[in-house]
Amino acid sequence: MRSLIKFIFFFFIITNSVLAADSSGPKDKVAYELYKELRCLVCQNQSLLESNAPLALDLKKVVMDKIELGQSKSEIKTFLVDRYGEFILLKPKYSIQNFLLWLGPIFFLLIGFFITFAFLKKQSVYKEEPLPLTDEEENSLKKILDNNVS
Amino acid sequence: MKNKLKYFYSYVPLIIFSILVLFFARQLILKEDPSELPSALLDEKFPSITLSRLADYELFSNKNLMDTDNPSLVNIWSSWCVPCKVEHEFLMRMREEHNIIIYGINYKDNKEDALKVLDLNDNPFYAIGVDQDGMQSINLGVYGVPETFIIDRSGNIRYRHVGPILEYDMEKIILPIIIKIKQEKL
Amino acid sequence: MIIELGHFLLALALSLSIFQFLLPAVGVKFNSYSMMKSTSIIAYMSFILVLFSFASLVYAYITSDFSVSLVAKNSHSLKPLLYKISGVWGNHEGSLLLWVLILTFYSAAVAILGRRLPLKLLSLVLSCQGLIAAAFISFILFTSNPFVRIFFPNAEGEGFNPILQDFGLAIHPPFLYLGYVGLSVTFSFSIAALLVGKVDTIWVKWVRPWTLIAWVFLTIGIALGSWWAYRELGWGGWWFWDPVENASFMPWLAATALLHSSIVAEKRDTLKAWTILLAIIAFSFCLLGTFIVRSGVLVSVHAFASDPSRGLYILLLLVFFTGGGLALFAKRAPYLKSGSLFKPLSREGALVINNIIFASAAATVLLGTLYPIFIDAINNSKVSVGPPYFEAVFIPLMVPAILLCAFSPMLSWKRAIMDNIIERIIAVFICTLFLASLIIIIYGGSASAFLGLFLAFWLICGTLYEFLIKVGVKSSFKTFTQRALNLPRSAYGMSIAHIGVAVFIIGATVSSAWRIDIEKPIILGEKIIVKDIELTFKGIKKVEGPNWNADRGEFEIIKSSGAKYLLYPERRFYPASEVNTSEPAIMSGIFSDLYVVLGESLQEEDSYAFRIYYSPFISWIWFGIMLMAMGGILSLSDRKHRLGYGLKKV
Repeated sequence: MRSLIKFIFFFFIITNSVLAADSSGPKDKVAYELYKELRCLVCQNQSLLESNAPLALDLKKVVMDKIELGQSKSEIKTFLVDRYGEFILLKPKYSIQNFLLWLGPIFFLLIGFFITFAFLKKQSVYKEEPLPLTDEEENSLKKILDNNVS
Repeated sequence: MKNKLKYFYSYVPLIIFSILVLFFARQLILKEDPSELPSALLDEKFPSITLSRLADYELFSNKNLMDTDNPSLVNIWSSWCVPCKVEHEFLMRMREEHNIIIYGINYKDNKEDALKVLDLNDNPFYAIGVDQDGMQSINLGVYGVPETFIIDRSGNIRYRHVGPILEYDMEKIILPIIIKIKQEKL
Repeated sequence: MIIELGHFLLALALSLSIFQFLLPAVGVKFNSYSMMKSTSIIAYMSFILVLFSFASLVYAYITSDFSVSLVAKNSHSLKPLLYKISGVWGNHEGSLLLWVLILTFYSAAVAILGRRLPLKLLSLVLSCQGLIAAAFISFILFTSNPFVRIFFPNAEGEGFNPILQDFGLAIHPPFLYLGYVGLSVTFSFSIAALLVGKVDTIWVKWVRPWTLIAWVFLTIGIALGSWWAYRELGWGGWWFWDPVENASFMPWLAATALLHSSIVAEKRDTLKAWTILLAIIAFSFCLLGTFIVRSGVLVSVHAFASDPSRGLYILLLLVFFTGGGLALFAKRAPYLKSGSLFKPLSREGALVINNIIFASAAATVLLGTLYPIFIDAINNSKVSVGPPYFEAVFIPLMVPAILLCAFSPMLSWKRAIMDNIIERIIAVFICTLFLASLIIIIYGGSASAFLGLFLAFWLICGTLYEFLIKVGVKSSFKTFTQRALNLPRSAYGMSIAHIGVAVFIIGATVSSAWRIDIEKPIILGEKIIVKDIELTFKGIKKVEGPNWNADRGEFEIIKSSGAKYLLYPERRFYPASEVNTSEPAIMSGIFSDLYVVLGESLQEEDSYAFRIYYSPFISWIWFGIMLMAMGGILSLSDRKHRLGYGLKKV
C-alpha cells in the first residue's frame, strides 16, 4: 500500500514537471503563454489570448514589447500586477496568501490516504482473515470455475 | 478514546460545510459586485507619465500634482466615449460650484475630434494631456473611458472611479472624499 | 387564463408536496401501513399537476403571449419555434420550473418502480423527495414566479441574447437537470438509510442504477454545453473553468466517485457510510451549483441575471438540505455496521483510490472556484483563479486515476493475486510506450503531448487486454464467442466507458498539441494553406436573417482530395437587443476541424482581420464523452439492474 502511494505521488510530480517543462522557449511561445495567463479585464472571464477588446490588444502589445526587450515572464507579470492588481493574473501567484490554493490538492490527497489507512488498520484489528488457498486448492477451484463457464 | 474519535470524524463534513456557509453569507450580505475592482495604486503616488500637448491648452503633467494646496481630479476621457458626454455636466458642476481642480487625459483619440468637443462645450479641465496610444494610461491601471482619479495634496491616488460620474456618484462618493482630504493635516 | 391556471396548479402542487413529505413520515413513525402505501398516489398527482403547470408556460411561449412578463422579457415573435420552447427554460424562473417538473417526475418514477421495495424505505425516500419539491416550489412561488402578468403588454417581446439561439444550448439544460435531479434521488435514499439505521443489499442494488442514470444525463449535459461553447463563443476553446462550468463539473466528479464506490458497496457490502456521504455531497454540489449560478457572488461568462436576495433563499435551501443531511450523517453514520474486509491491493483498494482521487479533484475544483471569495473575506484583496491554475492541478491529479483505471478491472476482489498482473502491466506498458513514441516520432510533439498520448493508449491497451483475458483469448473461437456473448452488459459498459475516456484524452491532447492558429489580415482573393487544405477568401456580402442582419464572408475550401466546401463566417447584428455576435464557420470532420472567424474590416482596401484555427481530432473530445455516456447506458440495461431483480415480494 505504501509503495502504491509512493507510486502515485511520483506520477504527480512527474506530470507537473512535464507540464512545467514546456514553459520556456522562443519568444512567440512565451508570449502565447503569457497571454493565456493574463486576464482580459474588460471581458467576463477570458484571457488576453482569446479577447479582441481594445484594452486586451493594448496589453498584448505591452507584453510583446517587453518580451522583445528581453524581460522575463515574472518581470512582465510584476509590471502588470503593480498597475492592475493581482486580479489580472489568471494563474495565481505562488505567495503565502495563496499557499492553501496551491497546496490544497496534495493536502486533499494526503487526507484521503490517511483516512483510508486508518480505516483499513482498524479493520484488521477486530476481525480475523480466512487463510489463503493452497496451490492444490487453487487448481481445483480453477478447474471447477472453468467447467462452469460455458 | 479511540471509539470517541470515530464519532468525531463523522462531524467533519458538517463543520467544513458550516465554514463554507459563513463565507457565502458574508458575500451575500455585502452585496458587492464581484467585477468591481479597486485601483492597484491606491495610496501610492500618482505614477509619472508623459503626455503630449493638445493645441493651445495648458499641458497636464505630474508637476501639477506636486505640492498643491488642494486635492484634484484626473479624468480620462475621449470624444468617442458616450458616457463621457453624460458625465460632462457633472464635471462642470464640480469645477464651478465646488471649485474642484480637474485635469484631463485625452485617451486614444483624434486631436481634431477632441478639440471639437472642447470647443463646442465648456471646458472643465485646468490642464489637458494627450495619451495617443493609450500606453501611458496603462501605467495608471486604466480599463477604459471614462475613469476618474482623486489625488490628494501629496500627489497620492486616493480613489479611482470607473465609469461616468453622475449625480449620485458626485454627491455620495466624490465630494465626500474631497472634503475628507481637505480636512486632513498635510 | 391558462397562465393563471398554471399558477394555481403549481400552488396546489406545493400543498401536495408538503403532504407527500408529512404523510409517509408520520406513517413511518406510527407504523401505519395505509399511510405509507398512499404516498405513491400523492407522488403521481404531484407530477401531473406540475406537468400541466409547466405546459401552461410552454403554451404562453409558443403563442407569444407577451402579457406574461417572462415571455415579454425573454421571447420574440420572430424566434423559431424550437427556440421559443427552449426559451421556457432559458431564464431563471422557467428553468426552476423545469427543475421541479423533473423532480416530481423522478419521485413518481421511484414510486412506480419501487413497488417492491421495503415499504418503510420507500416511504422515507418519497418523503424526502416531497420535502425537496416543496422547498423548490415555494422558492418559485415566493421569489421567482414565472406566471406574473404585466398589465400593459407591448406588442413585441424584448428578444433575448442571440448567443442562446443554438440547438446544443437549447437542450443542454434539460439534460443537466435530469442529472442533478437524479442525484436528489440518491440523496433521498441516503437520508432514508440513515433514518432507518441500516444499509442492506436492497438499498445498494437500488442506488446504483439511479446513480448511473443521473451520471449519464450529467455527462451528456456537460458535453452539450462544452460543444455549444466551442461552436458559439468564437475562440475555438471548449472548456474555460468558468464558475458556472465548474458548478456542473463538481457534481459530475462526485457522481463518478459515487458510481465506483457503489460498486464496492454492492459487491462487497462495505464502504457504505462513505457511499452515503458521497451521495449527500453529490446532491449538495448540485445545490451549490444552483447557488453559484444564480446568486451573483462570482464573476462568470454565463450566469443568469444574478440577484443576491434569491441567493439568500438558495443559501437557506443549501443550509437546510446539505446541513441537515450532513448533520444526520454525523449522528447516525458511526452506528452503521461496517462490512467485509479487503486488502489494500485489491479491486476494492483500487476503487478506494479512485474515490480518493475523484473526491480530491472535486474538492480542488471547489477550492479554485471559491478561492476568490475566501481571500476577499480574509485579506480583503482580489485574486482571480483561472484556467492556468486548474490545468496545473487537475491534470496531475487525474493521471494516477487513469493509470489505475486500465488494470484495476484485472484485480480480484478482497485480495489481488499479483503474479499474472505484473506481467500484464508490463505488457501494456511496452505496448503503450511503443504506440505513443511512434506518434511523437512521426509527428513531433512536446512532452505533454507524449503524456496525453501515453495515458490514452495505456487506457485503450489495458482495457482491451483485460477484455480479451476475460473472454479467454487463448481458447477456441467458439468458447471465445460464447464467453463474449455471456459477458454481462455492465462489463461491456465499463470497458466502453473507459475507452471513451481514452478517446476524450486523445481529442483533448491532439487538438491542443498540434493546433495551428492563424491570425492575420486577409485580402480579397488571397489564398492560405493550412496543412493539406487551401482556403481562398472570396468576399463579403450583406445578408439578412429572421431577426438579424449580418456581414457574411465566403471562404472556398479545397482539400487535397479535391473536395470543395464553402464556409460562411458571419458578424451578426440583432436589432431587437442591439447585440453584435460573431458566428464562426466550422468545417467539422472526424480528424480535424477548420474554424474560421470573421473579424473587423481593416484600413486597407478589402482586407479583413481573420482568425483561422485548425484543430486536429477535436471532435474526439465529444465522441469520447458520448462513448462514456453510451457505456453508462449499456450498463444500465444490464439484467441485474432491472428493478426488482432478485427481490422477493414484500
